[in-house]
Amino acid sequence: MIEFKKVSKIYDDGTAALKDITLSVKKGEFLFLVGPSGSGKSTFIKLLIKEISATRGSILVAGRNICNLKTNRIPQLRRNIGCVFQDFKLLPGKTIFENVAFALEVIGKPGYVIKVQVPQVLQLVGLHNKMNSYPYQLSGGEQQRVSIARAFVNRPPVFLADEPTGNLDPVTSDGIMKLLSRINLVGTTVIMATHNESVVNSMRRRVVELERGEIIRDQKRGVYGPS
Amino acid sequence: MIRPKYFFGETFSILKRNFLMCFTAITTVAITLFIVGLFSIVVYDIQSIMSSIERQVELAVYLEDNISEELNEYIENEIKSWDETREVKYISKEKAMEKFKEQMEGSSILKEIQGNPLPASFEIKLTDPKKVDQVALRFLDKDGNYIKGVDEVVYGKSYVSRLFSITAVIGTITFLIIIVLVLSTIVLIFNTIRLSIHARRKEVEVMKLVGATNWFVRTPFLFEGFFEGFAGSIISVIALYFLSNFLIIKGERAIVDTMHIKELAVLGSSNAIIYIYLAILVAGGLIGILSSGFALKRYLKI
Repeated sequence: MIEFKKVSKIYDDGTAALKDITLSVKKGEFLFLVGPSGSGKSTFIKLLIKEISATRGSILVAGRNICNLKTNRIPQLRRNIGCVFQDFKLLPGKTIFENVAFALEVIGKPGYVIKVQVPQVLQLVGLHNKMNSYPYQLSGGEQQRVSIARAFVNRPPVFLADEPTGNLDPVTSDGIMKLLSRINLVGTTVIMATHNESVVNSMRRRVVELERGEIIRDQKRGVYGPS
Repeated sequence: MIRPKYFFGETFSILKRNFLMCFTAITTVAITLFIVGLFSIVVYDIQSIMSSIERQVELAVYLEDNISEELNEYIENEIKSWDETREVKYISKEKAMEKFKEQMEGSSILKEIQGNPLPASFEIKLTDPKKVDQVALRFLDKDGNYIKGVDEVVYGKSYVSRLFSITAVIGTITFLIIIVLVLSTIVLIFNTIRLSIHARRKEVEVMKLVGATNWFVRTPFLFEGFFEGFAGSIISVIALYFLSNFLIIKGERAIVDTMHIKELAVLGSSNAIIYIYLAILVAGGLIGILSSGFALKRYLKI
């Protein structure tokens, strides 16, 4: 599904964020990307949605090399990758329903589809009774669930999560992880960057550890620290 | 994929939610375009006053006494045949005296005049007053003397050339000022709209992350820019309309009355001001759209 071949990213200021990364992720896999701050986790995520471009190497998503993707094809790529972030990135002026509907409006889905799909996905994340609330009226965990709903509403084959539990307490984090597991269960490839140790240890999924831009560990059913 | 309902709805809700920013942009457009417009109107006004003064430049061709009817007619026909001639008026000796008496009424000088010392003359008005020198030269022969039958040609040579150099200088200066004003207007409006987009960069970021195309992100902002520019220009045109009606036209009348200028192109009666208004409206909308487009460029690079 996703393949990194000798990918390097050197920023304009000379920082090498990723060095010669080679990694392949199968369809339907659940992968943790762990490592200290500045190890290259976020760069990895940004490369996948082509927010930035790789300096060297090639990145294949569903068989396509996204490194030579034309600018006007980037939206198409992003419609196939759901994204959630530590800071949720919800629009404060829109209701929960509108925030999720926004993702469908943007890709041109007609109103009757939106009216069906948005309540469905909000049901999935357990927030169907808060559709008309605004983000500030919700707790952090609820806001993150809205952002997951938004990322998942058009059923993308790939789901990226950059520190989704970074701002949440352990109990709330568990809820988020259950949600991500469910998304993974329906065949979605999930890649989650985190340094939340307990979350990684309780899940027992594939763990890739980055340090200073290099992969230092790749374990099938790993834990956070080296075992 | 054209979805006008979404775009208009989105534009409207942007305007509603960002009322303050939007209000700032509209006021900026209104004030700056008002200044540009006011200046254009004043410049246009000065130009029309200048050209109406210029139009009053005329030549007086004084004839010798007792010239033959044929020579008189010959000179008149000659003058009429020139392209530069707009209007020729013959003033006979008697008429000249009549006019003189009118002007000098009550003065003791009239009693001392015996007979009629005033010459007959032609008063020539020109299509292009700047050619007054050339036309005057036609009354001279190759030795520099006046041609037969003409006693003297008078047209206030130094006054005329000074007038033309003044109007030229005023023209250049005002042109430069208008250019500077227009440029600073564009920069000011551009910055204001950029600020209002900057305030919503998060929205743009989210749109881009969920896979919106650039045009999809851009369109509501362009609508907004157009709306702000157009609304601002409408306000400035309304303000200009009232100001020019009440102030400038009154001021003009005062100039006309104090300077005794005839046939002044009074602004209120002219169509040119409508073109200034139209230009402001078009410029407002255009600057709004272009500012939005350029300002967005940075934020679309995600």
